[in-house]
Parts: sequence; C-alpha cells; structure tokens
Amino acid sequence: MNTKSKRDANHENPLRIASKKDFMALVDSLIEDGSLEVHGVKSKGTKFVFGLLESSDELRLDYDVTVIPPKKYFLPQDESMMHFDTSQPFSVQANEDIPKRVIIGVHPYDIVAIKQMDTYYTDSFVDDLYVKRRKNTLLVGAHVARVSEKAFFGDMGTGMVDSGFDLMLTDLKDVIALEVGTTAGADLISSLKTRDATPEEVEKIRKAVEKAAAEARRGLKTPPDQWSHLLQGNYDNPVWKTQSEKCLSCGTCTSVCPTCFCYDVNDKMHLDMKTGSRIRTWDGCMLRSFTRVGSGEIFREKRIDRYRHRFYRKGEYLPARLNFVACVGCGRCSTQCIPDIADPVTLINMVTDSSQTLKPPVPHAASPVTVEGQVPDDTGPGLYIPCPATIKRAVQLSEWEKLFELELDDGSALDHEPGQFVEVSIMGYGEAPISVSSAPGTKSFELAVRKVGDVTSRLHALNPGDKVGIRGPFGTGFGVEELKGKNLLVIAGGIGIIPARSLINYVLDHRKDFGELTILYGCKKPCELLFGDEVQAWDKREDVAHLRSVDSCPEGECWEGEVGLITCLIPLATFDPKNTIAIVVGPPVMYKFVIRDLMGRGMPEENIIVSLERRMKCGVGKCGHCQINGVYVCKEGPVFRYSQIKNSPEAFT
Amino acid sequence: MKKQKPRVAFFDFASCEGCQLQIANLEEAVIDVTKLVDIVSFREVMKEHSDDYDIAVVEGSIMRPMDEERLKKIRENAKILVALGACACTGCVQRMVNQWPVEESITTVYNKDEALKDNPYFANFETKALDEVVPVDAYVPGCPIDRDEFCKVLVALLLGKKSPVPDYPVCVECKKKENVCLFELGKVCMGPVARAGCGAICPTHGAECEACRGYVTHPEEDAQTDVLTKYGISAEQIMQRKSMFTYRYIEEKAKQEVEE
Ligand SMILES: Cc1cc2nc3c(=O)[nH]c(=O)nc-3n(C[C@H](O)[C@H](O)[C@H](O)COP(=O)(O)OP(=O)(O)OC[C@H]3O[C@@H](n4cnc5c(N)ncnc54)[C@H](O)[C@@H]3O)c2cc1C
Ligand code: SF4
Ligand code: SF4
Ligand code: SF4
Ligand code: SF4
Ligand code: SF4
Ligand code: FES
Repeated sequence: MNTKSKRDANHENPLRIASKKDFMALVDSLIEDGSLEVHGVKSKGTKFVFGLLESSDELRLDYDVTVIPPKKYFLPQDESMMHFDTSQPFSVQANEDIPKRVIIGVHPYDIVAIKQMDTYYTDSFVDDLYVKRRKNTLLVGAHVARVSEKAFFGDMGTGMVDSGFDLMLTDLKDVIALEVGTTAGADLISSLKTRDATPEEVEKIRKAVEKAAAEARRGLKTPPDQWSHLLQGNYDNPVWKTQSEKCLSCGTCTSVCPTCFCYDVNDKMHLDMKTGSRIRTWDGCMLRSFTRVGSGEIFREKRIDRYRHRFYRKGEYLPARLNFVACVGCGRCSTQCIPDIADPVTLINMVTDSSQTLKPPVPHAASPVTVEGQVPDDTGPGLYIPCPATIKRAVQLSEWEKLFELELDDGSALDHEPGQFVEVSIMGYGEAPISVSSAPGTKSFELAVRKVGDVTSRLHALNPGDKVGIRGPFGTGFGVEELKGKNLLVIAGGIGIIPARSLINYVLDHRKDFGELTILYGCKKPCELLFGDEVQAWDKREDVAHLRSVDSCPEGECWEGEVGLITCLIPLATFDPKNTIAIVVGPPVMYKFVIRDLMGRGMPEENIIVSLERRMKCGVGKCGHCQINGVYVCKEGPVFRYSQIKNSPEAFT
Repeated sequence: MKKQKPRVAFFDFASCEGCQLQIANLEEAVIDVTKLVDIVSFREVMKEHSDDYDIAVVEGSIMRPMDEERLKKIRENAKILVALGACACTGCVQRMVNQWPVEESITTVYNKDEALKDNPYFANFETKALDEVVPVDAYVPGCPIDRDEFCKVLVALLLGKKSPVPDYPVCVECKKKENVCLFELGKVCMGPVARAGCGAICPTHGAECEACRGYVTHPEEDAQTDVLTKYGISAEQIMQRKSMFTYRYIEEKAKQEVEE
C-alpha cells in the first residue's frame, strides 16, 4: 500500500474512512440520481458477476471472483462499432452510444488486466472505441476479501495496485476504507462523510492485502518475469501435446480471461435490408475457426498449436512486445476449463519440471511485470471508420479475378508503398484486406480481387460509380528505397502477382533507379494468368527478364512457357544470388520450396523478402487473427525479410 | 419498375411443425419479412398454395419413399432450398429409430397391422436429413429453430452472403452470458461440441444442452468422452445422449470406419 508517499504528495490524506451504512447510502443515491449507470458485483447462483445494481443491497464486496472479468465493459461481448445505411451512396456513423458508468468492486488483479488492456488498445494505433468506453467509466476497486480456490494473484504479484483505479475500497467490517486514486474518485465521494484513517486501520488494510496475497499462492515454480525465458526453450516440450489432447476447443479459457482481447467483426444487416451495424464480438485463439480464411485453410488447425499459442501469447509474445505477462492470476480459466488443462500454474510447473533447456529458477518474491496503461485524451478520427471511395473502372481479369480502379472521395491520393494493403469495406457484407496492385504516384489506385466469399463476391457485383469504404494503407511495404540500386528477382505465384505488380510497376516507372529485374510468375492453369497484356509487354522489354510457368496445361488451352511448379523456373533464371534481392509472394505452400531452392542456388537469407497472408479483421494489430507466433502480419508484415521471420515456427508450415 | 419480391413456400415432412410455428410467431418481424418476400405457401397460416416459388423452406425429415419423391419435386421447383430445423438438418429425434432395423421398427410401432402393409403412408425406411436426398443451400438448425437466426439466414440469402450460423461451440455463447457452467453444478452438458447460434439458451436456463443444433465442424469428441467419463457417465450413457439429437454423426462415423 502506497499510502504514505501519497499522503506526502497530496495535502489531503487519500485514505478515507466512512461508515459502511453511509457508503451504501451513497451507492443508492448514485443509483437514484441516474446520471451514471451503477454496476457492481452481485451474486448469480453460487457465483458472482458484474452487473447493473438496482440497490446497494445487491453489492457483494465479499465475492471471490466473477465468472467473467470486467473487460466486458470495455470490450463488450457484442459491440456495435458503427451503423450504416445502404440506401445512401455511402453512409456510416460511428456508434456514439457509450454510457457513463461506475463499476464497484473490481479486484486489483482485474485492474492490472485493465491497465494491460489500456496499453494494448493504445499501442501504435489508438482504438477510439475502447478509449471512449474507458474514459466514460469510473473504476472503484476493492481489495480481495475472499480468495477463490484457484486464484494465484499472490504468485503473480497482482494482489495490489497503486494506480489504475478512481477509488479503492477495503471492507473493514463496520467501516469502509476508501483510497482515492484520482480527482474523479474524490469527486465521487465528495458528499460522503469521511475521516482520516487511523494508523491501526492502515495497518489492518496492509495485513488484509498481505493475507489475501499469501492465500492466493499456489506454488508457481517459475515466477512470471521468467516465463518468457522458460517458454522460449520449451516450444517442443511434449507437455503441449499431451495436455492439448484433452482440449475441447471450447474457447472458455479465452472468453473468461481478463487479458484475452481478441475479437471478430461481422456486419449485421437489419430486416429492412438497408440499415445495419458492424459488430465486434469476442473471439479467441482456442477456437478452430479463429484462423480460417476464405479458401478454407486454417492456419492453426491442430489443437496443440492453438493450445500452445494461448500460453505463449501470455508468457512470451506480449511480454516481449509490451513488457507485461498477460496473466494476472485470477484463476478463472483454471476453474472453468472442464477438462482442467487451462490452469497456468499447473502448466508452467509441468513445463518447469520437464524443461530440458532451463533449470527451474530459484523462486523469488514475485514482481508484477506490468506497464502503466495510458489512456490518451486525443483519440483522433475513428480507427475503424472507413473513408468513402468510388469505383472508376472495373475490368474482368479472369474467371475469378477482377480489377478495380478506385479514387478516394476526399480527392487525396492513397499514398501507399508497394506491398501495403487496404481494408475494403462493403457495408452489410464486411471488410477484407486487399493489396494495392498499382504503383504509387497517381491519384487513383488499383485493386485486383479474387472472388471467394462475402466481401469479394459483392465487390465483383459493383460497377463504376459505386462506392466502397477504404481504411489504410496498412502494413509494411517492400521497402523500395532500400531496394534502389539492387538487382531484383520477383517470384510471384497465383494471385501473389497482385501485390508484386505494385512493385514491378514501380520499378518500371523508375527503371534506372534499379539494377536487373527478373520476374518469375507461375499459376495453376493458363486461364488463370492475370494481367496478360502487361506480361506480354515484359517479354518485349530488353530491361526485364521474364519466365512463366503453369502447374498444368489442360487440353485445348495454349501456353507459351514452362509447365511445372513455379520452382522449375528458378534453375532457368539467370541471376547472381549474392547480389540479388528475391521478393517472393504467393500461396502459403509455395514459400518453403522456393526459399529452399533460392538458398540452394547460394542466395543468402538476408536477400530474401517474403509477403505473407493470414486471416485479418482489423488490420491494425488489435483483433489478433493475423498472428504468426508473436508477430502481427497486419502491422509488422505482410512484407518480411526472411531472416526476420524464419525462426517463427508458424511462418512457413 | 418495382422489383419483384422473391417468392417463398413452406413445406413439411416428418416433424412436429414446431419450427414453422416459430416463424408463424415471428411477431413484429413478420411484417418486415413479408416486405422482403412473398409467402406463396404456408400451410400453418394460409389456405392458398402455389408451385411457383423461388425459395423453398422445408421442415421435417424424410422417412418414406414418397417423401423422397416429393422433396425432389420441391428441389426442382426451387432456386434455393432451406432446411428448417433439426428434423430437416440432421433427422432430429426421429433418427433414433435408425438404431434398429426398419422392419423391426415398423412391426413394433404399427403392431403387424396387415391393413397397413401396402399403404405407402406407412412404408417407412430409415430417417434421413434433407441433404441426404437433395442438395441444400442453407440450414437453420435447432429444435426448435431460433427465430432471429431464421431472419439472419433469410437476410444472408437475399444479400448473397454465406451462412451466418456460427461454427464454434455453445460454450462461447454460454460464457458471454456469464453462466455458471453446468459441469460445476454436477450436471452434464453437450455445449462443448454443439454448434452455437441459440445463445446457449438451455444452459442459460439451467438445462443441459443436448446439441439439438448438431455439432460444430470438428467436434473434439475424444476430449468430450474423457470429460464425460471423468464425470462418471458410462459409455452406454454417453451413447444414449449422443443418440438423442446427433445420431446422424454416430451413423456417419460408423460409415466412415467401415470405408476405412
Ligand atoms: C495482406 C493481404 C493482402 C491480400 N491481398 C489480396 C489481393 O490483393 N487480392 C485478393 O483477391 N485477395 C487478397 N487477399 C485475400 C483476401 O483478403 C481474402 O480473399 C478476403 O478477405 C476474403 O474475404 P471475403 O469476405 O470475400 O471472404 P469470406 O470467406 O466471407 O471471409 C470473411 C472474412 O474473413 C477474413 N478473411 C477471409 N479470408 C481471408 C484471407 N485469405 N486473408 C485475410 N483475411 C481473410 C476477412 O476479414 C473476410 O472479410 C489478401 C489477404 C491479405 C492478408
Ligand atoms: S483449454 Fe480448456 S477451456 Fe480452453 S479451449 Fe481447451 S478445453 Fe476449453
Ligand atoms: S490466464 Fe487464466 S488465470 Fe491468467 S488471467 Fe487469464 S483467466 Fe486469469
Ligand atoms: S426440429 Fe424440433 S421443433 Fe422443429 S419441427 Fe423438428 S421436432 Fe419440431
Ligand atoms: S454449461 Fe455447457 S455450454 Fe455452458 S460452459 Fe458449461 S459445458 Fe459449455
Ligand atoms: S443450448 Fe444446446 S440443446 Fe439448447 S438450443 Fe442450444 S444447441 Fe440446442
Ligand atoms: S491483429 Fe487484426 S488483422 Fe492483425
């Protein structure tokens, strides 16, 4: 308890004492007043939940843990992000319906989790939806009076916090101690009759907090600040397999976790077929559908991969990225996982005991590995609100692909780098990440789209003059500045030619800035070749070397090029492996073989650049779908240096 | 020029008609639905019937050769065929009958009544879901269906979108509703393998989920069996539970094993 220093800093003692009766009367008057929604912990059967209070009688400050954490107030189970009206050319309105609330009884470990969420949701892109909810909420914490059986916040060092709350309560039987954390918290109790805490009371609070923390220890063998180290050496530990074989893939452990923040986004059209909302919903990496893309491929298909990912995200990926261990020891997953395999203490201890690469570290006093969550005032324009753009031209490229030339309605250029992508929105259908296929430098930009599902099929049905929404550009580009002066070998498989084309056209627009340009392009069948005219033009140019292949050529189709997988072109191409940069873009199966053959020809791995695809929803590093181990493809990718990603076991499977 | 509304017809086979009743009871939404489509045939609410329709919404499972013929005709007439309810999607509870040889069931049920012998109305064969007879374009699972979900499926069809029926387990919705897990209360629940979309309505009201909506694409049945065994459910009891609404999966698995 940090009351001493706070007392020195503030003239007024931040630790106030009120009678319980008065405090409850205050809660009732807040409920009556109605300017805030008053939420708090109440009982539900044998358990507890956060919910709207109808009277202070319902408030249960003696609860052990709630079924789900208070994250639901900031990332609701189902949240309307924006409303649309498709009877207008383009009408999108941010959801402004964000109630003002006070939440009473949040335990310190849940406050730590909220601080982590603050950090996550404001890291590099500020999620204005989250921030608005957060800003409209007063947090009244409560020290743990009763420890749930599986809680281990004592091991995690999250049994107390010195910030992140507006008020912090301690139930001292007849009186309630209130620690003031913010001026908003002080205002909330300005009408309450309080007095300074006596030294005995301060001591009582300290003891209570210590007692709870001691009770909430379950013999964790590796302290949280060493989880990362432990996990790094144990990716292939057999524990993952044996434990995951019991997993139901039910998603309960991620749903109930205060530090699991992944979400899905879906458009809901009302029955009037005109208006609707874009809804974000809880999602989680334990669900099989989490990484499924339009083609049906599932990137984390095996249970072991999903099961392991959850622990690595908590113990290694987020600590590395944001400097906190994304587990606060609430024990919710431990209690609610039916086969009882989700408990971090059991798992970490199993890994510790069976670890071959790391001796179990000597346990030491747990230190909370957390950062201060900052909630900025200025959230800027809505992160998820798309800008209107108009289709200027639409050209069928093949049976399944169509090219669209678009212009942003505000008249600005997209200003992208070759390799970047945009999120294309069609209200009522959804949003899809699509690479920009044209080179920068013009007011309009081009997208080439394969028809696979909801958004892409609808896009194919649109005509010049129709409007779509655009967010972005997002992600990394090929890095044209760094490529200048270099020899380039572009290897594109299938629709990989779409992003590759933005680079190729850029190089052709600035031909003398680059060295040799070799293009290897492979597709399944001759009829799937895209941009035929441009491909023909490469053939004619002296300053471009070009080879192409088809996997097979059905009878009746004619083909001028090689027949075989794209790798058959690598031995045929002339390039100096040491002095050439290879840019590889294609379907997931292609990379392993192309990279193997390039390295077989003596190309150093730093010379290889890849562009990877994963399921995406947000494009801004929040929804969690695109992760390759700890890497966010939407933010750190889609373009990677091979050397940067080769050690991620999930990158090339 | 006013765009013509799609014409919808309702049909039923072996069922309790509870799912059609859900639609008849759509309340305010009925008006919205009738703004979107013309209902040309719906035995539960109107006398008229027409064979000129775009969307056939079919309830019930197929239990007799004559049903099969009728369903094939409906399929020919319809551009889109929607399977309505568990009966149509999986075969529902009447599929339990497939556990016994057809002859035996007929004898037991109709008591060897000679008069019924050549009557096609009693010429039962094994229970089938619609998609075991004709291709189905969309499914509204559940016994009974969820009204909101029916509307969602209809909107998706009219927009040309994929099925809005989720492919994750009921537990996801159950946790979103902040329910205390029935396993913690000493009960047994099929939620971890059952397909969500009902809002976990049964566990929310304290009742065990029976997976009336069928399974998710890839139910983790091995882990489920482990759990049920741990909770003291015998192999026979597990089988009984699974025979209730999901006997289709037991049959399919058996068939697969034979093939392998
Ligand atoms: C960085 C990047 C660039 C891409 N560039 C192109 C391109 O230039 N041209 C092109 O035709 N396709 C491209 N894709 C693939 C394209 O995003 C998917 O085909 C598209 O999202 C399918 O959306 P849908 O709504 O039609 O399909 P549905 O199956 O209905 O998908 C529903 C949602 O799931 C997500 N999703 C599904 N498939 C994918 C996928 N393959 N990748 C990422 N998210 C997915 C999307 O959010 C999508 O809206 C790219 C993917 C990524 C990740
Ligand atoms: S670990 Fe447990 S809670 Fe998590 S998905 Fe698997 S079975 Fe469900
Ligand atoms: S991993 Fe489990 S114990 Fe840790 S914060 Fe999440 S739910 Fe709580
Ligand atoms: S699914 Fe159930 S409610 Fe619907 S018709 Fe069949 S038996 Fe009746
Ligand atoms: S009650 Fe059933 S649906 Fe709910 S969490 Fe438990 S097993 Fe899953
Ligand atoms: S909870 Fe289970 S049994 Fe109940 S409606 Fe949903 S799927 Fe059917
Ligand atoms: S985190 Fe949402 S797409 Fe990358």
